[in-house]
Amino acid sequence: MLPGDFQEPRITQRKVLLLGVIGLGGVSGLVVALALGLFVLSAWLGLPLDVFGFNEGPDQPIEFPHTVHVQELGLDCTFCHRTVTKDAAASIPAVGLCMTCHKTVGDGNPEVDKLRGYYESDRPIDWVRVHRVPDHVHFVHEAHIRFFSDKMGGDSETCSICHGDVGGMEKVNQVRSLKMSDCVDCHRNNDAPTDCTTCHY
Amino acid sequence: MVTTQEKKTEEKWGMVIDVDKCIGCQACVVACQSENNIPVNEEEHFNQRRPIQWIRVERYWEGEFPDVKARFIPIMCQHCDNAPCEPVCPVFATYHNSQGLNVQVYNRCIGTRFCANNCPYHVRFFNFWEPSWPESLKNQLNPDVTVRSRGIMEKCTFCIQRIRRTERESGRDGNELKDGDRALNTACVNACPTDTLVFGDFNNPESRVSKLRKKEMDDHHGRGYKMLDELGTSPNVIYLKKVDKEAKESSTH
Repeated sequence: MLPGDFQEPRITQRKVLLLGVIGLGGVSGLVVALALGLFVLSAWLGLPLDVFGFNEGPDQPIEFPHTVHVQELGLDCTFCHRTVTKDAAASIPAVGLCMTCHKTVGDGNPEVDKLRGYYESDRPIDWVRVHRVPDHVHFVHEAHIRFFSDKMGGDSETCSICHGDVGGMEKVNQVRSLKMSDCVDCHRNNDAPTDCTTCHY
Repeated sequence: MVTTQEKKTEEKWGMVIDVDKCIGCQACVVACQSENNIPVNEEEHFNQRRPIQWIRVERYWEGEFPDVKARFIPIMCQHCDNAPCEPVCPVFATYHNSQGLNVQVYNRCIGTRFCANNCPYHVRFFNFWEPSWPESLKNQLNPDVTVRSRGIMEKCTFCIQRIRRTERESGRDGNELKDGDRALNTACVNACPTDTLVFGDFNNPESRVSKLRKKEMDDHHGRGYKMLDELGTSPNVIYLKKVDKEAKESSTH
């Protein structure tokens, strides 16, 4: 055999099997990476996909059921979120407001006991924030509520435009992406100003 | 229905600064720093020529020692109609809005600093550091104003947060925007003890700034001038020059 002669490698059955396994592994790895990438992208563009509870809201220090208070008792959103029709922030009620009822209502409920614990030790409840826009965005609840109330009538329906049916949620989660495209789309559809300084200043 | 956008085109915010009244007390500077979440400038920042002051009071000395006069002139963003800072921004982070304001959009800014280089008034400031405040001042930050992070440009906004709030509140309560209303004034105007600074709407002929402009700019003997007017930036800030008792009647301006 002369130097430089090319000798075809011998292909054994073992090698074929090995190549097959490596190939399959590569393809499935690619598929997994693609799926992960798509998931991250969907979360980045808006909300995470509704799988494995990824779009679920965060765990709150007290499992406050909006369902009981809104659906069964029929409280209006503004009963607790009092400044929402007057000011920029919707405001979380003080523990004292909860205690106007829960001094007498809800004996034996462990979550109500937690609430009373907060009240007696004079601590605020560290609710985990669900809806958050970046610091350079100035969202004003009052202006939006005023506009949509004039347009549609009825406060609770107005809130659900952005917050979804909070009254039917055991655990509050975000239903709209609240990205800038989301805001701007809505502003365009409703003839609202789209100047940058409407929100960014 | 009259939308807010249609209504907005009616206004053109501007300012008249009577230099004759300025006593150089720096109250406007302090008010601006605290209203607009401007970080505290330390000696090191001044030594590096990198302090952030949306409004500053420039001081000039005139005459020789026993007979010295101090002259003060407050300088902030002139909100030029033909702003040199705007066309050089590669990302459109600074632009003119329908209210005649030269606007800086923080979340668009990528920190090229071209605008600051092109500004003849030196009123644009770059955040060379992450902003910081002493612990005691952390709770005084204005929630209506974005805290600018390191690497972006900032400048006077004519307290746009106050304009927006007054607009919203007037819509809510059905009041009209009143000229000279405390809520519709910038922080520096509210702080000024001598009424040097006047803020208002140039498109409203009844406003104080319009009247002052009519009196001082249109009249041949008026004191009004625009800073570096020869550059053709057409600022929205009008200065009224100092009354000089010894000046002759025939002097220019």
